[in-house]
Amino acid sequence: MVLSLSVNGDRLTSIANPATPLVDVLREEFHLTGAKPVCREGFCGACMVLVDGSPAPSCLMPAALAQGCEIRTVEGLATNGALNPIQQALEASDAVQCGMCFPGMVVTLTHLLATTPVATRDDIRAALTGNICRCTGYERIVEATLLALAARRQEA
Amino acid sequence: MTSGLVVHAEHSDAGSIYVAPTLPTALDALHDYGSAGAPLAGGTWVMRSPIRHEPLKPYYVAIGKIPELSAIRIDTAAVEIGAAVTHAALAAALTDLPEFGVLAAAAGRSANPAIRNMATIGGNLAASDFAAADCVPALLCLDAAVEVASRNDSERMSLVDFLKVRSTLSPGRLLTRIIVPRTERKTAHARLPLRKSGDYPVAIVSLSVNVDAASRVQAIRIAVGSVEPAARRWWRLEAALLGCEFDPPRVADIAAELTGEFTGRDSVEVPAWYRVNVLPSLVRRAVATALGS
Repeated sequence: MVLSLSVNGDRLTSIANPATPLVDVLREEFHLTGAKPVCREGFCGACMVLVDGSPAPSCLMPAALAQGCEIRTVEGLATNGALNPIQQALEASDAVQCGMCFPGMVVTLTHLLATTPVATRDDIRAALTGNICRCTGYERIVEATLLALAARRQEA
Repeated sequence: MTSGLVVHAEHSDAGSIYVAPTLPTALDALHDYGSAGAPLAGGTWVMRSPIRHEPLKPYYVAIGKIPELSAIRIDTAAVEIGAAVTHAALAAALTDLPEFGVLAAAAGRSANPAIRNMATIGGNLAASDFAAADCVPALLCLDAAVEVASRNDSERMSLVDFLKVRSTLSPGRLLTRIIVPRTERKTAHARLPLRKSGDYPVAIVSLSVNVDAASRVQAIRIAVGSVEPAARRWWRLEAALLGCEFDPPRVADIAAELTGEFTGRDSVEVPAWYRVNVLPSLVRRAVATALGS
């Protein structure tokens, strides 16, 4: 049976088996390689995507259950080529290192900015519990997020 | 099955998934599939089958879209929790019920935010090989009962009994509901992950207690998780504490004398002895938290 998925606003079809992890469909069939299958256990967050607006580890979501959901990957977060606020802040803060974890970080923090505009440093750390980075030590990521939040509050 | 979406596998190495719209259709499907089928809720356990070197079942029945399994009913006598309620939804629903602090903490601090948004309470109880499940000891100390249904009948049993039979439940049977009585009590959930959060706890101590005006224990239930392959009540410690002063160091001392009854499970994360040795400290923390609740 062909699966019909809505990814970054596009309607895409897949011939994957129903229990195939969504991350494999995104990467192998749709060539959206931002989400990384690293731990495949839901611990590392490198495969994080937004499913109906909420962060979800795509390694643990069967492709069949993603039907009917709005999936947004890191490739779909910039609008018309313009980076979103957290992407801009991470770049401006020179927070990116090897890049393995970063698509997942961006997805999680995009959701945090949208849902918790008054997030504190502790809130940011709690939100990133499921996103593991082995390069940065997190501090620049947290600082960049605080900057993005402050910028958003100034705009409001 | 007469309705709902069925997504068939094209190859033999992954399961077909039937998205059941109602409980009767889910039970029908599980009955028809027999031992070739299994329920699929949040997917956080089933989808890791390959890592555990376990083959996927040929058929899965997705139960996450069944309204009654995703509902939480709170009344004066009990809280009834559908088996497909996620950890995040459960923690949010219990925010204003202090007597359920142990369960709110278990559901609200396990794993990480994205997993809490997917993983279900039913999956936590039904995954018999998942020793580190936070909600199991929390529900044990709350004296929870569960409902198990099949196409033809429904049975209610204590959680203690369910844990004894869960790995041998006949095909077609589904955990549908958890029932937790409401009573006045102090509760606490103490867990020790290796990092501050985000990974499996080395050991868990959940407790609920009633104390008198002199802070002496009138009634207490203590459950231990993650130390042995399955969570269980710490009956001897409960008995030893009746009438005792509910004081953190005092209770921890008594616990230290009784840890010999546990046989810790060895794993790549920590050695077996360590899981047992941390129990008195976790008991002390749990008592201190309960006193402040």
